[in-house]
Amino acid sequence: MRLNPDHFWTYSEWLFQHNALRDGAILSVILALLGFVVGYIISVVKHGPSEGFLRVSQIIGQLFTVDLPKMSFRRIFAVAKLAVKESIRKKILVLIAIFIVAMMFAGWYLDPNADYPARLYLSFVLTATNYLVLLLGLFISCFSIPADIKSRTIYTITTKPVRPLEIFLGRVFGFAAIGTLILGIMGLLSYIFVVRGLDHDHGVESIDPSGRSGETSFDNRHRHTYTLNSEGRGTTNEVKGHRHIVTKVGDKVVVGGPIDDLTARIPIYAKGLSFTGRDGEINEGYNVGYMSEYQKYIEGDSLSRAVWRFEGVDKSLFKDVMLYDLTISAFRTYKGDIVTPVGGLIHFRSIDGKVKSEDEPFKVKEFQVDRRSVRTKLKGFIEDRPADLDFFKDIAPDGNFEVVIRCQDRGQYLGMAAADIYLRPADLQFWWNFVKGYISIWLQMFIVICFGVMFSTFLSGPVAVIATVAALVLGFFGFFVDDLVETTSKGGGPIESLIRLPTQMGSQIDLDLGNEALQTGILMVDRGILAAVSQLRNAVPNFSQLDTANFVAYGYNLFGGLLARHLTIAFGYFVLTALVSYFFLKTREMAA
Amino acid sequence: MSTSTDLEPRPASFDNDPTKTIVETRNLGKVYRDFWGRKKVQALKSLDLEVRRGEIFGLLGPNGSGKSTTIKLMLGLLFPTQGRVFVFGKEATDVSKNERIGYLPEESYLYKFLNAEETLDFYGRLFDMPADVRRQRIENLIKMVKLEHARRRQLKEYSKGMTRRIGLAQALINEPEFLVLDEPTTGLDPLGTRDMKDLILRLRDEGKTILMCSHQLADVQDVCDRVAILHQGELKELGRVDSLLKIQDLTEIHASGLTDDAKRQIREIIEKSGGKVDRMDNPTTTMEDLFLEIVKESEQRPGRRGGRGGN
Ligand SMILES: Nc1ncnc2c1ncn2[C@@H]1O[C@H](COP(=O)(O)OP(=O)(O)OP(=O)(O)O)[C@@H](O)[C@H]1O
Ligand SMILES: [Mg+2]
Repeated sequence: MRLNPDHFWTYSEWLFQHNALRDGAILSVILALLGFVVGYIISVVKHGPSEGFLRVSQIIGQLFTVDLPKMSFRRIFAVAKLAVKESIRKKILVLIAIFIVAMMFAGWYLDPNADYPARLYLSFVLTATNYLVLLLGLFISCFSIPADIKSRTIYTITTKPVRPLEIFLGRVFGFAAIGTLILGIMGLLSYIFVVRGLDHDHGVESIDPSGRSGETSFDNRHRHTYTLNSEGRGTTNEVKGHRHIVTKVGDKVVVGGPIDDLTARIPIYAKGLSFTGRDGEINEGYNVGYMSEYQKYIEGDSLSRAVWRFEGVDKSLFKDVMLYDLTISAFRTYKGDIVTPVGGLIHFRSIDGKVKSEDEPFKVKEFQVDRRSVRTKLKGFIEDRPADLDFFKDIAPDGNFEVVIRCQDRGQYLGMAAADIYLRPADLQFWWNFVKGYISIWLQMFIVICFGVMFSTFLSGPVAVIATVAALVLGFFGFFVDDLVETTSKGGGPIESLIRLPTQMGSQIDLDLGNEALQTGILMVDRGILAAVSQLRNAVPNFSQLDTANFVAYGYNLFGGLLARHLTIAFGYFVLTALVSYFFLKTREMAA
Repeated sequence: MSTSTDLEPRPASFDNDPTKTIVETRNLGKVYRDFWGRKKVQALKSLDLEVRRGEIFGLLGPNGSGKSTTIKLMLGLLFPTQGRVFVFGKEATDVSKNERIGYLPEESYLYKFLNAEETLDFYGRLFDMPADVRRQRIENLIKMVKLEHARRRQLKEYSKGMTRRIGLAQALINEPEFLVLDEPTTGLDPLGTRDMKDLILRLRDEGKTILMCSHQLADVQDVCDRVAILHQGELKELGRVDSLLKIQDLTEIHASGLTDDAKRQIREIIEKSGGKVDRMDNPTTTMEDLFLEIVKESEQRPGRRGGRGGN
């Protein structure tokens, strides 16, 4: 899993620095205008220009004068409760049985030889839950109002003092409640499934003559080695993403259950990564061509180095040691000795470069997280004179410092990206991260329900299903629209293309209409349309963006800021769909 | 398409006495259209009528004459394609008027998976009634419609008459001032019908206004104060039941214990004074006669009949 820079934005950074608030506001205005224009056109067709206008204004006015102020929670609750009862009497809970069966089958098929069984298990339960719950949300939300209209029970609802928004809200909350129940049960089952699926024991196979190290037995298709300290305590090495605690009790060595496979690391990332080239010049890092593109490389045995800059690290998070994880990769220009890993050197230094720690050599552990640590009391240099240092006094008095990595081996390269080193304060409880993963799924389900109910206020059930799915797919492929908007150079915007197509003007030739004013006019309108389209694309939810299963599966803390963002986005869709539903319910002839 | 005059404020006459008129339709018409906006049926043609406070108003007409359409227009379930409807002086699409209305639809449009108590509780909540009031009313209504034995059974198990009863209870949950009953007696046994009629009369005596439509002409005749007769969406007759049914130059004599001799003497007296005895037996349901006559007549010549009963 790759963490992208945008994953680390705090909530306020997202809202203000990255313009989420501004874009949201623009989108609201565009949608409001669009809604008004469409509503007006429909109304004019039905009622003629003057009365059409009056009616649209009336409906908008009533939203604020009566329909919002006179909303009653008791009514919303009544509708919600009915929705829950309806779902339960439709035997929705059978879904749980399906889920259990799916887990049983998965128990047989999940590959026990996988490198990271925890990831596999977690990805499986999260993905399965996600799909099932989204399907559930889709179907219960899309068929409910159409069923009411078909059976005409809606007559007995709308002849009561029920307001359109209350119908929408009641439905959405009711379905969300039933979804929550099902999601909760699935979550609990999944948790048990994962923990039990990963649990295993080892015996001790061999003990070193020194009594300090040895090998565990071969169980669950792997074995560990372990080392003990003088007090007879220690851990095994990491195999398949987990370790065991090993303790010496009397003469016997006891291996505990797996640890570290279900974690929630709280990575503290660097604010920036910079490179210097082989002669010490600043560059962007070397590109080794076909390899992964997100990583840039430094060259071995030269002045080439990678420098991460950390800012504002809270020293209270670390006591005697500072844990950090390294996930850098190596690129070999010669493959002479494939067994010996490529080596590197790492040191920490103050921002001004005057204080630095001693270089510590390391070997690259490819395709694995290298869990490392540095003591806060360490040896190093102050202005090149050897000294005993205190990390947070001498190197990073204000929490700012740099990490420097070099590659030792001539002719080899080390590759890294900004996220490839992070500090690791004490991990968060895994279960809480797991819950956050489910909150993510819940938010997706909630959005689906909102869209489903919205579409069902004016479409029949099956059509509403298709419309909702279409919206989701559109959102999923939203980046196509981005492409469309960004590649305006090829053939121009919509109007320009309309001119180019029939005149068979190639996209390489500049547009030349012989009329300067007209041409700039067209280009400006085109740009406006494209800008509006790119904003509008945000009106359909992008679920790939909301999918956070990997955070849980790969054991990263699901940042609060990210979750808050998703919450905000979901709330935005909630408001949007509520408004659209309001207008449709308000103007729909229930008995027609 | 309606004209802009539709949006002019209500005439002063109405506002002067909003307490007397519960429903007013003005030039009300409804055309059902299909998805493409093509005309399917003209279900109602320029209907003008008023339902006044405290009366039982009957809507009569053959199947498909537009009775249910009229009711749905009054409740805001349909939007007029012509003219307007006012209920309690407000536009029929105004939701707040529903606080004071009870509606029994022509069929039971209730949630089949709820039981009687849940049903009433649900609709009670829709009126924003607090829990204790709800409990009280549910208790009373279930007793009133005689469903005590079936209060915890799901509506899908109910018989037609039972469904009708719970539908009625549902319509009364908010103690409405104005009750709209679409064919209240269909599906009820004779006893149930009697109960329903008694209830309607009792509610009227309590000062409520009732609009009902029915095919049960005897029922209409028994309970309604005024009726409107619709045929193919047109208003054919509107007036007080007693004056509509009274045929001016016809005298009806009801007597019992007469001997054949006495009957002969009465006959003679009538003939002596220039009259003629058409018939001398038990009177039939004359509402039915009136109804059939109107229907037959309208089929021959469309349009409103010459007024008979005073409004
Ligand atoms: N939703 C609808 N779409 C199209 N036409 C309709 C619709 N509802 C009613 N109609 C038509 O409108 C006309 C009047 O129907 P309405 O239901 O008002 O009759 P009614 O007087 O209530 O009849 P009944 O005594 O059978 O209940 C009929 O011709 C009917 O076919
Ligand atoms: Mg009807």
